[in-house]
Amino acid sequence: MTTLDDLMKLPGAMAAFEFRGSGEVLEQRIAYPDRINESTLDLLAHMCAANLSIATMQARGWEKVTGMEGFYPIQEFTLIGFDWSVVVSGLQREHYKQAGKFSLPPFMGVVLANESADYEAAFGILERKEPVP
Amino acid sequence: MSIVTDLLAKPGVIAAGEYAYRGDRFSHRGALSEDHARVASIMCRATTMSVNMEASMLEALQPLSGLLPPRGWLVHGPGYTVCVVANVFCLLDNSKGSINDLVGFMRQALPAVPADMI
Repeated sequence: MTTLDDLMKLPGAMAAFEFRGSGEVLEQRIAYPDRINESTLDLLAHMCAANLSIATMQARGWEKVTGMEGFYPIQEFTLIGFDWSVVVSGLQREHYKQAGKFSLPPFMGVVLANESADYEAAFGILERKEPVP
Repeated sequence: MSIVTDLLAKPGVIAAGEYAYRGDRFSHRGALSEDHARVASIMCRATTMSVNMEASMLEALQPLSGLLPPRGWLVHGPGYTVCVVANVFCLLDNSKGSINDLVGFMRQALPAVPADMI
């Protein structure tokens, strides 16, 4: 069972996907293709890659400017839309970096219907520490 | 009570504030200095503008996709979470508060923003 399959078990899960830092989708699961199709998911993944990068820069700058800690590294970025939200994370990559690996796993994301979205449950799956090979 | 006062009464919320969409003013309460609150409001406004642009682009690709108008966004760090809905932001201590409860409260308390406000 992959992390994508686990994400699709979340309440209201509409899609789950893996993507590169440059935004290309590598793997996907889509539950409601009439709402979220491959084309939508491709643009969404590019948006999420950009948002994670900007948020990472802001967290880094914020910690330096204020002296506060606990913002960096970003664990997840969540965009709350009108009907659904998308939660994305690159935290697994941090685990690989800490293990001294240069080849990093992809970013991951899940689209959740707002009515039943459990953001904390999504964070829990995305923050799960997978063994580093 | 204002939304900022309500937010500060929530478990784990250490600071909260509002910014004008046009960027000419902000207000805040809680554990941030005036300078730091100014930086926070500028960053939050910039990201809000950005996600609105993104949602409009997605809407052009797939009308009625369900993203537009975006309600807000979250940045979840190891210790704190930045929660933004409409033009209101707050900082949550992850160990002391619930993100689900906070987002639910903010979504309910803050109506969707008309597109001409952005």
